[in-house]
Amino acid sequence: MTITATLEVFRCGPGGTDRRFEEHEVTVHDDATVLDAIEAVWARHDRSLTFRHACHHASCGTCGILVNGVEALPCIADLSEALRQRSPVRVEPLRNLPLAGDLTVDVAGFFDRMRASTMTITRTAEDRLPIPTDGGDLRARPVEVADGLARFNRFENCVECGICISACPTMATDDRFRGPAMLAALARARVETDDPQERERLLDLADGEHGVWRCHGAWECTTRCPQQVDPAESIMQQRRDLLRRRLRGRVR
Amino acid sequence: MGRPRVIVIGAGSTGAATAHDLALRGVDVVVVERGEVASGTTGRNHCLLHSGGRYCVTDDEAGIECIDENLALRRIMPDLLELNDGLFVATTEEDLAYKDAFLEACARCHIPARELEPDRARQLEPFLTPDVLAAVQVPDGVFEPYRFCLAFLATAQANGAQVRTFTEVVDLDSTNGYVTGVTVVDRLTGRTDTLGADLVINAGGPWAEHLASMAEVDVPVSPTPGVMVTMGRRLNNMVINRLNVPSDGDIVVPQRTTSIIGTTSWSVDDPDHIPIPADHVTRMLDRGRDLLPEIAAASIRGVMAVARPLISKPGVDARLVSRTFECFDHKADGVEGFVTISGGKTTTARAMAEKVADIVCGKLGVDAPCRTTDIPLVDHRRFHARS
Ligand SMILES: Cc1cc2nc3c(=O)[nH]c(=O)nc-3n(C[C@H](O)[C@H](O)[C@H](O)COP(=O)(O)OP(=O)(O)OC[C@H]3O[C@@H](n4cnc5c(N)ncnc54)[C@H](O)[C@@H]3O)c2cc1C
Ligand code: SF4
Ligand code: FES
Repeated sequence: MTITATLEVFRCGPGGTDRRFEEHEVTVHDDATVLDAIEAVWARHDRSLTFRHACHHASCGTCGILVNGVEALPCIADLSEALRQRSPVRVEPLRNLPLAGDLTVDVAGFFDRMRASTMTITRTAEDRLPIPTDGGDLRARPVEVADGLARFNRFENCVECGICISACPTMATDDRFRGPAMLAALARARVETDDPQERERLLDLADGEHGVWRCHGAWECTTRCPQQVDPAESIMQQRRDLLRRRLRGRVR
Repeated sequence: MGRPRVIVIGAGSTGAATAHDLALRGVDVVVVERGEVASGTTGRNHCLLHSGGRYCVTDDEAGIECIDENLALRRIMPDLLELNDGLFVATTEEDLAYKDAFLEACARCHIPARELEPDRARQLEPFLTPDVLAAVQVPDGVFEPYRFCLAFLATAQANGAQVRTFTEVVDLDSTNGYVTGVTVVDRLTGRTDTLGADLVINAGGPWAEHLASMAEVDVPVSPTPGVMVTMGRRLNNMVINRLNVPSDGDIVVPQRTTSIIGTTSWSVDDPDHIPIPADHVTRMLDRGRDLLPEIAAASIRGVMAVARPLISKPGVDARLVSRTFECFDHKADGVEGFVTISGGKTTTARAMAEKVADIVCGKLGVDAPCRTTDIPLVDHRRFHARS
C-alpha cells in the first residue's frame, strides 16, 4: 500500500540567500517516515536538495529538523501522522543554529560545546570476557546494576541531534548559553569520572552567567528530546550541586 | 615534487578508514562524499562490532579478520564502542547440535568464547527466551556507525586531509587511459568543479559499480540489501545471536535505548531506491520474538534497509558469498590511476584501508608502512567542531 503526500520543503541558496518553500508531491509506502518522503523528493525530483541523514533509526542524530514547526527526528516521524497534523507537511531546518543550506544547519558551534563536555559513549558488559588487548586502556568499566532494564538507559543516549538547542527559548536570546545538551553532558561526564579534580572542573564549566543559571526553566529541551535524556533535570541538578558546593564554602 | 594527491570517493566506513591510513602515510588526501558522512550503507547498518562468531563456522577467513579487527578497534577507538559482548543462544535441538562446531570454529579462529549455563544467561539477560538450551558468550560489541566514520575522518583531517561532504562525483576525468581526477558538483552551492589527483580511489560501497562505469570499467559488486527493525525499547544488554548458520532475523543488537533486529537478504538493481518488503518486517519480528519474547510487547521505532556492497561470485547465493573484501587495481582493465575497494564490513574497514593503501602507496612510490592498528583516533566531535 502506498500514500501520496505533499511536502512543503524549505529551500535556500548559498549562504542562506533566496529563502523559500517549495512543494513536492511524492508517493511512498504507507508506513513511510518523513525522512523517507524527503529522500524520495531528493531521489526522484530534485538531486540538489540537501538534508542530513545516516542511521534512519534515531541513533546518529544527524537528521533533526522541524516537522510542521516542531523539532523532530524525521527518521522516526511517521509520515501519515504528520499529514494528519498538516497537509502539506512542512519541513524546515532547526532553529538557533546557522543555516548551511536547505534542511542542513552548521553544527560546528554545537560540537565545540559537546567536545568540551568530554562525555563518552562507552559502556561494557556486566560479566565481561577476558579479552587480550595488548594492555591498552579500554576506559570501559562495568555498569552499575540496578534492578530492571532502566540500567540500560544512560546519558550516553544523547545522540547530539541539536533538537534541544533548537527548542530552547534561552538559546534564542543568548548565543553564548552553553545549552541543554552540553549541560546535560557535563552532568553525565561528572557521574562517570572517579577523579575529584575533574569533577570540580566539570562543575565549574556548568557554572557562570552563560551556564546553568541562564536557563529560564522552560523545559522545552526535555519535552522535545527524542532520547529522554532530560537535559532540564540535569540543569536543575547541577544548580543544586553548585549551591551545595557554595554552602560548603568551596567557591573561590 | 610535492606529496602525491589521492581522491577518495565515499565517506562510508571504507572511505573514512582509507583516508586516515593514507593521511598517516603522508599522502595528500581529499575525500568527496555526495551526502552527509555515513549516509550510504554504513550509517544504516546493524552496528555490530563483529567478534567473527557469525562467520567462523563456514568462513575461517572472515572469522579471523573480524576478531583481529575487533581487537584493533578496541585499541584505537575505545570511547566509541559499547563492549557488551554477545551471546549465541540455542533454543532448538538443531541449534544445540551446532554448538560443538561453533566452539571448535571459535577456537580455530582465536575468538574468545565461553559457555554459560542457561540460568546464568537468563540472569544476565532477563528478557531472553526461557527456551534457552545453551548459550556461548563471545566478544561482540556495538559501535555507532556515523561516529565510527567521523573518528576516522577527524583523525585524517588532523593529519592534513580535506573532507568535502555534499560533494557529488559526476564524472571521472581521464587522459590517455589515466584517471587524472574527478568532476564534482557542490550540492550546497551548486558549483561544478574539477579536482585533480595522482590517483582516485572508489570507495563507493554499493554505488561502486556506477562510479567505476564512469571510467568504463566493471566491478562485480552486487547491491544486496537487508531489512532491520528497531524496537522502541532496549531489551538486551549483550548482542543476542541464534546459535546456528546465519539466517533471517537471527540477531538482536542492542544500541542505546533500542534493540535492532536483523536482517534479511535480497538483491536490487538501484541502491538509491530500496522499497522495504512488508513481509520482511513481519519475519524480523517473528524470528526476533523467538530469542526475546518481549519484542511482542514493544513498539517499532524504525524500519530501515541498505545494500551490502558484496563482491558477487557467479552462481553463489548472496548469503554464502564471503563477507571478505577485495581491492581492484583497474590497471588490469587498462585504466591507470583508479582503484576500487569493496566488500567487507564496517568492522573490517581498517583492514580494508590497509590493503588499498598498501596498493596505492606501491603505485605512487610512497614508502611508508601502515600504522593504523595502534594509533588512537581523535575525538569524533572534532570532525564538526572548530576547535
Ligand atoms: C543490512 C546490513 C547490515 C549490516 N550490518 C553490519 C554490522 O552490523 N556490522 C558491520 O561491521 N558491518 C555491517 N554491514 C556491512 C557494512 O555496513 C558495509 O560493508 C559497509 O558499510 C560498507 O561501507 P562502504 O564505505 O564501503 O560503503 P558506503 O557506506 O555505502 O559508502 C559509500 C559512500 O559513497 C557515497 N557515494 C556514492 N556515490 C557517490 C558519488 N557519485 N559521489 C560522492 N560520493 C558518492 C555514498 O553516499 C556513500 O556514503 C551491514 C550491511 C548491511 C547491508
Ligand atoms: S539532549 Fe536530547 S535533544 Fe539534546 S542533543 Fe542530546 S538527544 Fe538531542
Ligand atoms: S538519521 Fe540518524 S537520527 Fe535520524
